[in-house]
Amino acid sequence: MYCIETKNLSHSFTRQATVLNNVELQVPTGSIFGFLGPNGAGKTTTIRLLLGLIERQQGEIKIFDKLLEKHRLSILRSIGSLVESPSLYGHLSAVENLSLWQKLYQCPKQRISEVLEIVGLSNTGNKKANRFSLGMKQRLSIAVALLHQPALLILDEPTNGLDPNGIIEIRDLLKKLNKELGISILISSHLLGEIEKLVTHVGIISRGKMVFQGSLNSLVSRQQKSSRLTLETSDLEKSVKVIRSLQLNGSIEDNKIILPVLSKDVIAGLNQKLVETGIDVYEMSPVKKDLESIFMELIDN
Amino acid sequence: MNNTFVNSFISEWLKKRHSFASWLVLLGGVFIPFISIITFLVYPKQLLNIHASEHFWKNMFQDSWQWMAFMLLPMGVVLAVSLITQVEFRNNTWKQLHTAPIPFASIYFSKLFVLLIMMLQLFVLFNIGIYLSAVMPSFFNKRIPFPHYTLDFPFFLQENAKYFILCLPLLSLQYILSLQFRNFLIPIGSGIALVVGGLMALSWEYSYTLPSAYTAIHFLQSKAAVQPEHNLLLWSVGYFIGFTLLGYWMYISKKEKG
Repeated sequence: MYCIETKNLSHSFTRQATVLNNVELQVPTGSIFGFLGPNGAGKTTTIRLLLGLIERQQGEIKIFDKLLEKHRLSILRSIGSLVESPSLYGHLSAVENLSLWQKLYQCPKQRISEVLEIVGLSNTGNKKANRFSLGMKQRLSIAVALLHQPALLILDEPTNGLDPNGIIEIRDLLKKLNKELGISILISSHLLGEIEKLVTHVGIISRGKMVFQGSLNSLVSRQQKSSRLTLETSDLEKSVKVIRSLQLNGSIEDNKIILPVLSKDVIAGLNQKLVETGIDVYEMSPVKKDLESIFMELIDN
Repeated sequence: MNNTFVNSFISEWLKKRHSFASWLVLLGGVFIPFISIITFLVYPKQLLNIHASEHFWKNMFQDSWQWMAFMLLPMGVVLAVSLITQVEFRNNTWKQLHTAPIPFASIYFSKLFVLLIMMLQLFVLFNIGIYLSAVMPSFFNKRIPFPHYTLDFPFFLQENAKYFILCLPLLSLQYILSLQFRNFLIPIGSGIALVVGGLMALSWEYSYTLPSAYTAIHFLQSKAAVQPEHNLLLWSVGYFIGFTLLGYWMYISKKEKG
């Protein structure tokens, strides 16, 4: 079951430049979905389309299995959002900011103190929002998004401009919201490293097209598949012959033999055979591609 | 009234707290009466002359409205409307407002309603100010008598209602401009140009088509006690409805909403 599902979603701001090209986004209910892509890939445009901030040109947007264009208000009642920079009334305090949204969302007044507690801004008193630090502003924006107890949070780069501590704080907060309140979260970022510890699912967009979509585990297994084993011996040519005699694939690159990842038994057997053949084995080591390089490969391809 | 609209109105009303626009209304309402009090204290003869006239309150009202009708009211409308509407642009909050579960109509009309209520506030303050500017000098200067004359309520109400209706076209036009442009200078500059242009065209035979000049035209006509050739009140209501509907259409037709 998906809380967000788009079909053939395309968008262009000018006739020449297509920003989104048949994007088929599927965000599972209950997940923390990392929506990744470099700057200008189409993340914010997708998010703005999901929230109805820009007019849909082509394709279909379903949220909670309802078409956005037909059920805009009922869908928005279940969504909390933060699009790019914080949206706060700078001349008002945190409580005053939340009060006016509380009126709009028609939710109980006690929610104001509850969300301030959740984001750790209970003690800001009469301090005006324009005197808050960026981290405080982001947290207050998240409080606004949480005020009406949404089932889905859509956050566009919420950690932008935050220091490492601020990033960790927001990450912990989102994990808590997902785990304790069961809120589905779509969070966009241009850095995989920033959200890989947070998300359960990942969607990668590049130049307006989805290039990967699935669970974080499936991205990790992709990482494992693309890992390699390197071998350094006293005689590379002879070593390759031994490797091939064992029905394995090996090739020489930069004075090293490159093999696919092998099981522990096969590695031990290969080592024994090489030594028996009179070849000295200097080094046998796995080379793992990190998620970031997989991400970069997906974007570049 | 629709519950969403009421909540949207309360929310819009809360936004103007501590804002310059709300101070502007207060200042706009008391500025001329304050200047009048100072003038009457320095030059008591001016107030004594009004005391000597046949219709004390009528003359006080018209004297006070002179600068208000020509400059302060139209300029105040331009500034207050721009400031209130620009709150969303300045704080980058249109996107948040448009992702709240409220119909676009509620957002548009609740903002407009806040502006109308603020104008009413300005009128109430100004009229209290007119009363005080007539009364207060007598407390400080024994030569100035206390105005015991009967307050002409129907006249006050009628004239206030007329001025209120006459400033609506400028208010709705300024509302359109302020909603359309992110750059604060464009609506403010256009508004000031409209007001100044209206004043410059006062003697033009078609000046009744210029909504920014209506309060000034009405002042001149009521001061001279001439029967107007054109019913400016009808023109005002027509312009107001037209501009409001046009503004709403332009607002909902925006392809990007934040």
